[in-house]
Amino acid sequence: METKGTFVAYLAATDIGMRFDTFEALKGVSFTAERGEFITLLGPSGCGKTTLLNIVAGFLKPTRGALTLDGADLLPIPPERRDSAMCFQSYALFPHLSVRDNIAFGPRQKGLTATEVAKRVNDLLAQMALDAHAGKLPNALSGGQQQRVALARALAVGPGLVLFDEPLSNLDAKLRDQVRTEIRALQRRVGFTALYVTHDQAEALALSDRILLLNNGVIEQEGAPRDIYFKPRTRFVADFIGAANLHAGIAEAGALATPFGPLTGAGVATGAVTICWRPEMARLGPAGVNSLAGIVSSSAFQGAYTDVFVDAAGQTVRLQLPGAAHFAPGEALSFHVPPSAITTVADTAS
Amino acid sequence: MRRTLFVLLLLAPGLGLVLAFVSLVLYVAVSQSFGLYNLGGDSVFSLAHWQAMLGERRYWRALQYSAYIAVTASLLAVALAYPVALLLRKPFRGSLTLSALIKAPLLVPGLVAAFLFVNVISYHGIVNQLMLSLGLWDAPVRLQNDKNGYGVILLQVWKQLPFAFLLLSAAVQALPDAVLLAARDLGAGPLDRFRKVVLPLTAGAMQAALVLIFIGAAGDFSFQAVAGPPSVDSLATLMTSVQSTQGDWNGAAVVAVTLMALSLFGSAALAILVRGATRLARG
Repeated sequence: METKGTFVAYLAATDIGMRFDTFEALKGVSFTAERGEFITLLGPSGCGKTTLLNIVAGFLKPTRGALTLDGADLLPIPPERRDSAMCFQSYALFPHLSVRDNIAFGPRQKGLTATEVAKRVNDLLAQMALDAHAGKLPNALSGGQQQRVALARALAVGPGLVLFDEPLSNLDAKLRDQVRTEIRALQRRVGFTALYVTHDQAEALALSDRILLLNNGVIEQEGAPRDIYFKPRTRFVADFIGAANLHAGIAEAGALATPFGPLTGAGVATGAVTICWRPEMARLGPAGVNSLAGIVSSSAFQGAYTDVFVDAAGQTVRLQLPGAAHFAPGEALSFHVPPSAITTVADTAS
Repeated sequence: MRRTLFVLLLLAPGLGLVLAFVSLVLYVAVSQSFGLYNLGGDSVFSLAHWQAMLGERRYWRALQYSAYIAVTASLLAVALAYPVALLLRKPFRGSLTLSALIKAPLLVPGLVAAFLFVNVISYHGIVNQLMLSLGLWDAPVRLQNDKNGYGVILLQVWKQLPFAFLLLSAAVQALPDAVLLAARDLGAGPLDRFRKVVLPLTAGAMQAALVLIFIGAAGDFSFQAVAGPPSVDSLATLMTSVQSTQGDWNGAAVVAVTLMALSLFGSAALAILVRGATRLARG
């Protein structure tokens, strides 16, 4: 929405705070989402991500802050009248209603005619490949099917904003990947704005246009998945998203003094720093710069790569090396890290 | 075979005892109503006792009255217990006290409650004194033993509400929060959430409460004897009256069988009707 040259985001949260007695769950969170964007709220348990989602849904009222949807103040509007729909972690399907009636629940509440309801439900049943299960009760469906019904039920009200509360956490790994792909494809096809809560960093990286990484009630870093992964700003972000080697060092004139000796990094700061590099960026064998050596302490074959823990200069370093080569404990190993893979991070969010 | 025997042995002390006594009572009552096991004369199979009782106006009035009290009291108790159970679904400051207060009638014997109640509403009782002192009534009003049985219904509801509350609160507390939030999220206001989600998902507990209260209220003796209208009997008071004043064991057995039939078929019919109404309400 554009008004007199001022761009107003589709969903805008400003300085949202939430306090439960003495516990401050959210400490002034601000973010925006554009129409059709897929935003993920990522963070560990207790970071405030579900609280924030429940505030957007209308199930909780924040203790401070403002929330607008399409330019209109959302806070006075009850959940039943908001242009949003939630996919719950537990699916929350109505156990006494058939798949068809579960999907029809929302459109009926919105006052659509029987013909409109039937058309919308039939379209969604076909889209979600649920036609064969239309007459079944939810308890007769598998976890993946229940999740698809939950998604169809949410989409049936034609919401501008769909809220996902860890919707894949009850599915097994293979099904999780499949449903994840389905959700993203559907979101692109239908074009709704998605606000997705998860603590699974792989899910966040794969699904999102933008990730908001929360920690202790604040957004510690916000950005595209690649930026969050390769340019973590803090030790927490680096550690939470994927695996990271984090070591203390001193930066001076583009060079890093580290426990392993001098290293060269990309765009490093000056003074005492924490250096960070991803385990999969290490390459076997020495090179002109950033060559390191150590003794293998343990290794684990992971299929696509081998996780190797190496003792180097009194530090434990983690490497993820492609291929099926076996590394025995006690074996000497030399490797190098490209300068572009080494970055520095702050110890805490400022 | 050994397994079946083992299961039967395990069931025997509990279920066996109940079945034995129920069968015995049913057998004796039905037999006596047909002139067998006659305590006051020859034991001969006869339809005369049924014919005599079915010809009596007070029998039909007692049947009608007992059914009226049982239906009204059970529906009212369930209707009043629902909001309380929903209110107490989530704990809040004072919710434990409120919950204890709702269950308090369980500690007061029905007969004691009935006597206290008649004292409170008697001609010179607290209610009349209060209304007179407030200037709302010019003279004391006769509230005791009212002809519509409202006093009995009030006592029944007061006494039976805790049972309804206990059954319904267990069912209401078992409702997943997410399911209620989902209904809200999809546009259902409080009334729609109740009739489309809460009611269908707690219908089993509601039916159990209705059946239990109906049976208890249909067989009421003490409330009717103390606070009921003098012009009409309940089936229980009629049964006692037929036996004690007329010495007619066979006639009393006819009333007893009627009472058991009312309990069985009446409560089943009520439960089915309410289940149907719940389906209609769901839309």
